[in-house]
Amino acid sequence: MNRGIRVARIVLIAFGVLGLAVGAAFLVATVRPKGLTGLAVWLVAAIVLHDGILAPVAFLANRLLRGVGRRVPAAVLAVLQVTVVVGVVMTLIVLPEIRAKQLGPRNPSVLPFDYGLRLALLWAVLALLSAAVCALLMVRSQRIRGSTR
Amino acid sequence: MDARERTAGLERGLERTFALARSSLASGARHPRTAVVLGRLLGAGFLLCFVTGLYSHYLQDPLPWMGFPSRPEWLYRVSQGVHITAGIACIPLLLGKLYTVFPLLFRWPPARTLAGVLERASIALFVASSLVQLAIGLVNTFQWYPWTFSFRAVHFALSWVIVASLAIHIGVKLPVIARWWRRRDSIGPDGELRPVGSGEGELGARPRAGGVTGGVQRWIEKAPPAPDAVSRRTVLGAVGVAAGAAVVLTAGQSLPLLAPLNVFAPRQQRLGPQALPVNKTARAAGVIGKATDAGWTLTVRAGDRSRTFSRAELLAMPQTSVTLPIACVEGWSVSADWRGVAFRDLAALVGASGRDFTVRSLQHGAYAVTMLQADFVDDPLTLVALQLNGAPLDLDHGYPARLIAPARPGVLQTKWLASLEAR
Repeated sequence: MNRGIRVARIVLIAFGVLGLAVGAAFLVATVRPKGLTGLAVWLVAAIVLHDGILAPVAFLANRLLRGVGRRVPAAVLAVLQVTVVVGVVMTLIVLPEIRAKQLGPRNPSVLPFDYGLRLALLWAVLALLSAAVCALLMVRSQRIRGSTR
Repeated sequence: MDARERTAGLERGLERTFALARSSLASGARHPRTAVVLGRLLGAGFLLCFVTGLYSHYLQDPLPWMGFPSRPEWLYRVSQGVHITAGIACIPLLLGKLYTVFPLLFRWPPARTLAGVLERASIALFVASSLVQLAIGLVNTFQWYPWTFSFRAVHFALSWVIVASLAIHIGVKLPVIARWWRRRDSIGPDGELRPVGSGEGELGARPRAGGVTGGVQRWIEKAPPAPDAVSRRTVLGAVGVAAGAAVVLTAGQSLPLLAPLNVFAPRQQRLGPQALPVNKTARAAGVIGKATDAGWTLTVRAGDRSRTFSRAELLAMPQTSVTLPIACVEGWSVSADWRGVAFRDLAALVGASGRDFTVRSLQHGAYAVTMLQADFVDDPLTLVALQLNGAPLDLDHGYPARLIAPARPGVLQTKWLASLEAR
């Protein structure tokens, strides 16, 4: 390891340790014990939800897609993967919004839209777009296969 | 079987399970280069959120020595719009980054040295804090608070934890980051990622196992993976498209250009009384009675010099028209036309030009009493506003009079003014 990297490492880690102390000090000074317990629950829940649920589900979905992947061109598989990822990310963002709207916004200018309907429409648009792109790719790959035969 | 044998057996079992997990998760896309590409975008996003977050935080709670510019008047609008939009874009980036490095969760042994243990602990803290920070930030913009802590205090403290863990993480991974930073060092002439050599990152080849474990491995691998170049591009493409979609479909709450594409934002720019969204209504603030009282007056005081003004008297003074945005900490912002008395004229009437002011509202609770620093008092754009978009202020926008100043968060644009006192 060269000297520049070694020095940068020391500086970064020292800054990090200092920053962690600052963060901890702010937490202890400004958040009540009940709040700290609540935060701990959120932190643990975040790890459990991601590592225990989201990541394994992503793995299984990918395994399923790979099964399909033997029968379709790689590009089509990629389009399907991108579609699912975009849909899932937008769903993760919008679901709490739907819940917040159910609980009742504080005034009519807050959360004014029908987010459930809009999310359903987004999935429909994504499905249509992805189907169109996949169809194009399939036609193209068949044409290439036809011309090389 | 004695205890030592049992421990050794358990260790072998865990080692096999972890190896199996890593080999199942191995993929061309899970490569240090992908981690670096996503990591530097996410790091930039986090830093952007940190800087804009500090600015917003200290504008609301300045330390005694702090001063803030009142120009350009759109400064806070842009800063907070960037804060929220970058935060939303970080959601797919973080998920993509975690996807890329997920096999590292199953390293065996988990750590070899004390430094290794500390490093893994700091990663756990980093990941958990980042997930929580983005989640509570997002949900807060929906005005939903499903937690027992003060959002502001926790969001602020976690931002330090995250930036600190980020620095530690970069420090630890620096040789790997440097190795895979540049495209030409990472990708061969055939467009494929170069193989990971020893010491160049742990997301390398899949571990091999024999016996039953190996059989399960071979079963999992039966489906051939797509060529590496494609699956790497898929991860980057999916994260890019998801981040783009999340930004384009929400940023219209602050960016007029994207307003027609505002599908999922919690606010619509021109939706609300007088074409302006409302955060707290007069009813929610409990001020309807006092605000509609015909005997309402605004008190302006500096020491023992004091003046009071009815709304009619304020309207009889020279009026100034300004176009200023309301920019909420929750990210939405809208430009509006305001008309009223220049704050500095009122300050001059009690001989308090160039001084900080305490601004009091008729409402109680958070932000009922705020401080207006001298730079904002002196700015000719700062008004005690009486009219909005050509009509008297709506009750929900602060009738009979409200503060409007350039480059300040919406929570400090005090509505339902009661008094202005020089400090």
